[in-house]
Amino acid sequence: MYQSLLTRRYLMSKVMPLLASVAVMLCSALVIVTWSVMGGFLAMLIGTGRTMIGDVSISWPNIGFPHYQDLRERLEADPMVSASAPVIQAYGMVALPNGITRVITIRGVDGPSFARVTKFEETLWWQAITEPMAKDHDGRDPRYQLRDSPGFNRLKDSGLNLTRTNLDTGEDEGGVVMGIEMSGFNLREAEGFYTPKVVERRMPDGTIKTVDTFLPASGKVGITVLPLDRAGNPLESLTKKLPVANEFRSGVYEIDRNIALVRLDVLQNMLRMNAGLRVRKDADRAAGTVAVDPSTGLESFVKPTTDQLIEDPARVTDILIRGTGKLGTGEEAERLRARVREIYEEFARAHPGEVPDSFDIEISTWEDNNRFMIEAVKKETALVLVLFAFMSIVAVFLVLAIFWSMISEKTKDIGILRALGASRGGIVWLWVRYGLAIGLVGGVAGLVLAYTIVWNINPIHEWMGQQLNIVIWDPRIYYFTRIPSVVNPMHALYAVSGFVISSAVGALLPAIRAAMLHPVKALRFE
Amino acid sequence: MPILTVENVHKTYRLGRIDIPVLHGVNLSLEAGKIVAILGASGSGKSTLLHLIGGLDRPDASPKGTITFDGRDVGRFSAGELDSYRNLDVGFVFQFYHLLAELSVLDNVLLGLMIRHGRLGYLARAKECRERARGLLERVGLSHRLKHRPAELSGGERQRVAIARALVTKPRLLLADEPTGNLDQATGGGVLDLLLDLRAADGAAMVIVTHDPNTAARADEVVRLADGRVVGR
Repeated sequence: MYQSLLTRRYLMSKVMPLLASVAVMLCSALVIVTWSVMGGFLAMLIGTGRTMIGDVSISWPNIGFPHYQDLRERLEADPMVSASAPVIQAYGMVALPNGITRVITIRGVDGPSFARVTKFEETLWWQAITEPMAKDHDGRDPRYQLRDSPGFNRLKDSGLNLTRTNLDTGEDEGGVVMGIEMSGFNLREAEGFYTPKVVERRMPDGTIKTVDTFLPASGKVGITVLPLDRAGNPLESLTKKLPVANEFRSGVYEIDRNIALVRLDVLQNMLRMNAGLRVRKDADRAAGTVAVDPSTGLESFVKPTTDQLIEDPARVTDILIRGTGKLGTGEEAERLRARVREIYEEFARAHPGEVPDSFDIEISTWEDNNRFMIEAVKKETALVLVLFAFMSIVAVFLVLAIFWSMISEKTKDIGILRALGASRGGIVWLWVRYGLAIGLVGGVAGLVLAYTIVWNINPIHEWMGQQLNIVIWDPRIYYFTRIPSVVNPMHALYAVSGFVISSAVGALLPAIRAAMLHPVKALRFE
Repeated sequence: MPILTVENVHKTYRLGRIDIPVLHGVNLSLEAGKIVAILGASGSGKSTLLHLIGGLDRPDASPKGTITFDGRDVGRFSAGELDSYRNLDVGFVFQFYHLLAELSVLDNVLLGLMIRHGRLGYLARAKECRERARGLLERVGLSHRLKHRPAELSGGERQRVAIARALVTKPRLLLADEPTGNLDQATGGGVLDLLLDLRAADGAAMVIVTHDPNTAARADEVVRLADGRVVGR
């Protein structure tokens, strides 16, 4: 009883314990803020990583598998699946209007189904917005300025369907939606939006021409792919100039720079994965090949007969699947994966020899597909937390040092208490309790401070930029326009508990020293 | 039978490698309800003797001496038994009051009861404990200063608080170490009168250490101490 009374009085009447509490407050606030920001960073990465891939994917790379519509119907009939989308993933090259050619990943997608599985529609960058971005106080974003333009508003549908209307013929042509960083023609402003760059080119006659770099208006890019036959052998590469329907922004730089989406049927045709006819395996080996007349040396195509041909259904390399409800955790995605595998097994049994066996097909969750990126950030977070665990040790020694000094000041009090019959254990508990109180006061104050900072971290950052010219989080470098911050209550509890315990541990040695003081010497202490 | 018996008690302090003998075979006895004064000059060992009697320190193991209170050898008490002895049986009044500066007058007086009963026990008896403390503070004339801190009191008032604190646990043995040594004559006289009156009312035995013969004269027996030895009674 006397311990709680003295703890309260000591805490409120002395400056040193208050200073110790302030130190604990700052340490715990620092840990919570850092853990929150890094946790928010991880959550944003995970969220953006899932943007373009769905919850579960079925993959048979390069060659692909047929009868995918049947598989989709089976999947979408299951209550655990809300949508599916066929995709072809291939590698190829893009030839940009400025002459640069780069190796990229090309995905053939059916726009509407892809949008049901992923956040494709939200990622389409060139679409009208009704409110400018948070930092765009002047409303300079072209998407905001052109929000009432009919021509601009058509871009969204164009992107969603991966088509662009040919202005000469009036027909819709299969197009490409590129990642917004791919062309290099888009300038990312500090406020977070993009503006087409102003590019000037010197013409052969010496004049300077301003080039229109807004590709969705009228630009085209060359897409080159290398089709494979069913055995995986490369065929002759194919290049096609495709109109740019729109550009997308997933939020992950690597994706936005290196991935282009092409309308599924267009890529199927380019890769020879569309529906067609092929020669039966048991047909004459010469059928469908080019024969050379030994006498004349002339080449001629050996046309197969009708009975030698069978239908070759269209193929895709991936089916992306969106589950019902929120699949924010790996466990939920695992349950969906298990169900998808069961459905695929039935599908494979229905098409024996024509589709990959269920043992061989790759069925992955979103976590599997982003594992490298997620694991890297998780490890960085763990490293930072280990370093911050050392701050708990600092808190221990801080409290120890302060208490060691305070024991000297309170030696006489200890002697008085012992003279009144207080036990050694009671004295130890008095000081440990005092340490706990400092930790608790500092920890709770740190928690309040941390929450205040985290909830207002972006306004604080903007104020620092405007008033002090300090920009720590430059969206041009870090690719997220706002500092991520998710305050996990359990993490906050762990941090506060850690510092409370550290303070108690720091008080323990001085407490034992206090208890071991000789009562007479303590009473005579000057 | 005496309530307190001190037989052949020695005490030596060690400072580094030097032994400093303070008490050399001291003997005294005290009947229940009586007062014995230990009279001696500064450095005669009288405070040391008081501390040994009060269980704040232990006599030398050799040569063997004993301090017996109510038939129990205080020198053989365990640490826990000494703590209980100091809380249940003994009340201290010190020359320099030794009040806790952060506590109010009332809380200073209640300390001994808080230690005795523990948290739950004290909370169960809080009303009764506070009434006893208030009653004692009223008897020492400080009922109007319950919420004041010791720094706000005069020397005499602080000593009166210390007296109330010593008596709140109803000790059977009151130990007063120069209770008026830090007070002027008039104040000291009043405090001494109060101490003796209250002791008498409660019936506690008392050992009072003093260098003042006038104070010693108020005791039932006077033991003279010089250089750690009893030189007269």
